[in-house]
Amino acid sequence: MNTIRHGDAMLTDWRDTAARFQREVGKAVVGQERAVRLVTIAIFSRGHVLLEGDVGVGKTTLLRAVARALGGAYERVEGTVDMMPSDLIYHTYLADDGRPRVEPGPVLRKAEDLSVFFFNEINRARPQVHALLLRLMAERSLTAFNREYRFPDLQVFADRNRVEREETFELPAAARDRFLMEIGMEAPRDAQARRDLVFDPRFHDTDALVSGLKPGIIDHAAVSGIANAIQHSIKASPEIEAYVVALWEALVRPAEAGIRLPGIDMAALIKGGASPRGLAFLVRAARVRAWLEGREFLVPEDIRDVFPEVMAHRVFLEPVYEMRRETIVPGLIRAVFETVPAP
Amino acid sequence: MRRLALLLLALIALPGSLQAQVRSVEVRTLRPFGYFVGDLVRVQVDIMVDDGFTVQAASLPQPGPITYWLDLRDIAVEETAEDDARRIRLHLTYQSFYAALDARTLEIPGFALTVASDRKDGVTSAKAQVPAWSINVSPLREIQPPPREDPTEYMRPDGRTAPLEVAPSLRWAGVFAGLALLALAVLARDRAWGPFGRRRGRAFAGVQRNLRTLVRRPDHEAAYREALIALHRGLDETDGRRVLADDLPAFLDRHPAYRQQESGLARFFTASRLAFFGGETSAARSQWSLGDAEAIAKELAAAERMAGG
Repeated sequence: MNTIRHGDAMLTDWRDTAARFQREVGKAVVGQERAVRLVTIAIFSRGHVLLEGDVGVGKTTLLRAVARALGGAYERVEGTVDMMPSDLIYHTYLADDGRPRVEPGPVLRKAEDLSVFFFNEINRARPQVHALLLRLMAERSLTAFNREYRFPDLQVFADRNRVEREETFELPAAARDRFLMEIGMEAPRDAQARRDLVFDPRFHDTDALVSGLKPGIIDHAAVSGIANAIQHSIKASPEIEAYVVALWEALVRPAEAGIRLPGIDMAALIKGGASPRGLAFLVRAARVRAWLEGREFLVPEDIRDVFPEVMAHRVFLEPVYEMRRETIVPGLIRAVFETVPAP
Repeated sequence: MRRLALLLLALIALPGSLQAQVRSVEVRTLRPFGYFVGDLVRVQVDIMVDDGFTVQAASLPQPGPITYWLDLRDIAVEETAEDDARRIRLHLTYQSFYAALDARTLEIPGFALTVASDRKDGVTSAKAQVPAWSINVSPLREIQPPPREDPTEYMRPDGRTAPLEVAPSLRWAGVFAGLALLALAVLARDRAWGPFGRRRGRAFAGVQRNLRTLVRRPDHEAAYREALIALHRGLDETDGRRVLADDLPAFLDRHPAYRQQESGLARFFTASRLAFFGGETSAARSQWSLGDAEAIAKELAAAERMAGG
């Protein structure tokens, strides 16, 4: 019994740490409480995050602030059209003596200690790079210099903007499925936050803003362990299991669940997706949310809160509807939650 | 009114000291003849006494049979003051049951009355004798009618009366029965009874009915969980979407009619969470019992009726 109490006390301490972490990141990123909260959930679920949004809404600032508050080594690359996978792994150059040299690239440089790998403008990189990222995210390992590198604490944060479509490469479904969450970011709606962002000089210099944060609030090396403890300590009742499965069923086969959306043939809407891995991710994230709320069991609200960010990008629509997915998928998710009974 | 006064003035020989106390007794009847079996005979008796004398109620004749053919039906006494005397007026109603075979005179017996005066020097009483008087009674019909072949011809034909017109009454009965049915239908619709049980906008009425049967179930644990689910479905139906615990404030914003039940609903959601997701149904039951569930369903149904009109 002692060990369990000890574990509970540890989880409570970590909950306070998570709250401190959110507050610290919130100092640099104003008006994005939900995004900060979701990123926190992602960190404690050990999941990778893709941020999406317009230019200049603070995606990069958020990720830099998170990386600083999380501690550990962090690397950052910018996606470009001509980037190749080897550019991530190897750094090739001519040395002073005129000989070519090959040294570890950005991913390998910090090797085992790497905690945040931060991929800017991921949709500008080629599919080859996406493929490399796929392995890095899925297995947290790479083979280079004839050996295998492991990144036990690695978390990939990527962002992409939604403005341009030229010279960009859509992420393959498999890569998107590896991301725990796709968090959409918008400029804050709150009038005070908007005024501050525009007029307060503190927010104009991102470097100074981020370096003003307290570094390493969370011990990145311990996150893995605590994430496991969370997953084991938050109970899921048979009712919540049935609820999640019913949600899944309704999402994949909305017509049979009795969901109707105006102007859409529900029987021919969903092409696929919503993988079992996606559902597993959903439950992982929901458990972390329950833990952040100070509860010992899952409730439907936990599922609903993280559902759009975890599940929306895993649903693949028929091509006819794909162009309108930004309105259809949120509507579908809302309808699913309005239809599936809980408990 | 023509009044035939039959004056039977009788001053009864009394001892000298009392003679003056009862001054006169006078019997007045409507008529002394023309009475048939069953007729009422009304008589008025005026007794003049000295001032200060009143009739003693116990000495009045009691209503009831007097002879085999005569009943006293009613008696009323009226006393009035006159100059230096006092008038005691009796209103007597007799009924004669004498079935006469010929016209004859019958005597209605007299009676004695005690009058008393309550003075300082003692009670003085005196007797007033009301004399007997006569009435003439006659048969109702011929005593020996001519012979008839058919005995029924001796009987008078039945009186002819117009048959009662029942159609208007039936019509009104129909109208009111229709109105009553209409009122019943309106009430049933309001309370969501019978065929209106599945009525839209009366979700909590169904829940209340459901809970009433659940309370009587022997398996309390299962009944409790079903009751919680029933309440959930009621809320869902009212809102047209699934209402989770965190949605309660938004639900109350959309349906302000249920704001009174806010604390009850909050406790319901807490109990439901504990029962379904915390896996502690018994703990939830001790916090919020099935009786609480029934009570809130009743309140919600009432609020729903108030809101729904």
